[in-house]
Amino acid sequence: MITKGKELPTYEELEVQDVNLSSPFLKAGSFHLGKQCEAENNEFMLCRLEEKDPRKCLNEGKVVTSCTMKFFQAVKRSCAEEFYNFAMCLDKSSQDMSFDTCRKTQTIFDTCMKEKVGIERPHFGYFCEPRVHATARPQPMPELPPVFPDALVEPPPDDIPRQPSRHQGRPIFF
Amino acid sequence: MSGTTIKQDLPPPGGYKPINYLRVPAKTYFSGVQMFVLFNVVTFGGLYIWSYTHEKLKRLKTEDRASRLALQPMLYAEKDRLYMKRLRKLREEEEELMKDVPGWVVGTYWGEPIYQTRPENEWHEIQVTEYMAHSPHYKQQYINNFFKWL
Repeated sequence: MITKGKELPTYEELEVQDVNLSSPFLKAGSFHLGKQCEAENNEFMLCRLEEKDPRKCLNEGKVVTSCTMKFFQAVKRSCAEEFYNFAMCLDKSSQDMSFDTCRKTQTIFDTCMKEKVGIERPHFGYFCEPRVHATARPQPMPELPPVFPDALVEPPPDDIPRQPSRHQGRPIFF
Repeated sequence: MSGTTIKQDLPPPGGYKPINYLRVPAKTYFSGVQMFVLFNVVTFGGLYIWSYTHEKLKRLKTEDRASRLALQPMLYAEKDRLYMKRLRKLREEEEELMKDVPGWVVGTYWGEPIYQTRPENEWHEIQVTEYMAHSPHYKQQYINNFFKWL
């Protein structure tokens, strides 16, 4: 459970308009979205992996969501019909929303996006490639080793007087 | 007894047919070398044709994975915000529930925290049972069994 001393963002800080789309629409727009918001996405994922703390990556996450919203608004303005047809094809052509059965509608959507919005579809494995991201956020330092104030500075000498054990001591074999 | 005629059981006229004891081997279509060569041609020819399908399937899988990876930051950003909202709500709920109990400290067990040697403001994840603490039982069951749908 979470104690009172743990800082949590307030409800107002967490209140952002989320992307209200179902999975075929998200999948249909995923490649162009990833290309459009590449810097924001990389920044957020790097923050998330480095800090391991969702509170510190809240602003980056908000930037990601707003970029996504902007992208889908642009799609709705320019290529709404093509986008809808592509998403419906993905939804209804196969069980696993495969791109393979929807190459025709995908080509129509891609040409529309290239002509009207100006985003070219990256090649099929573009987001599986590792890439280096340069960021202005300082890298979090590794945790310092713990300090024990009552620890002995150096081990005691070997010839300190030793008391015989009070309760007969341990047996030999244990 | 003298009027009865006796019929002797005899072989048919011309005698019995000879007994067929000769081995009749099955007809051979291929020799051993021919079969060996045919097996290898079919196997490795099939593998060669299959490799094209395999390449295509690999491309499709990579494409699907790339699509999911492109969406991942957006979904993670949403998920993190929902998670923190839920944590705040849980804390408020516990505070409201245990306000009349003397000695109870929110987020601890009678003042004993989960992590004693860590700083209090450090982030840690909570358990599923804690996450679903104030929910009805069927929702807890749903969360517990959700992985079976995946």
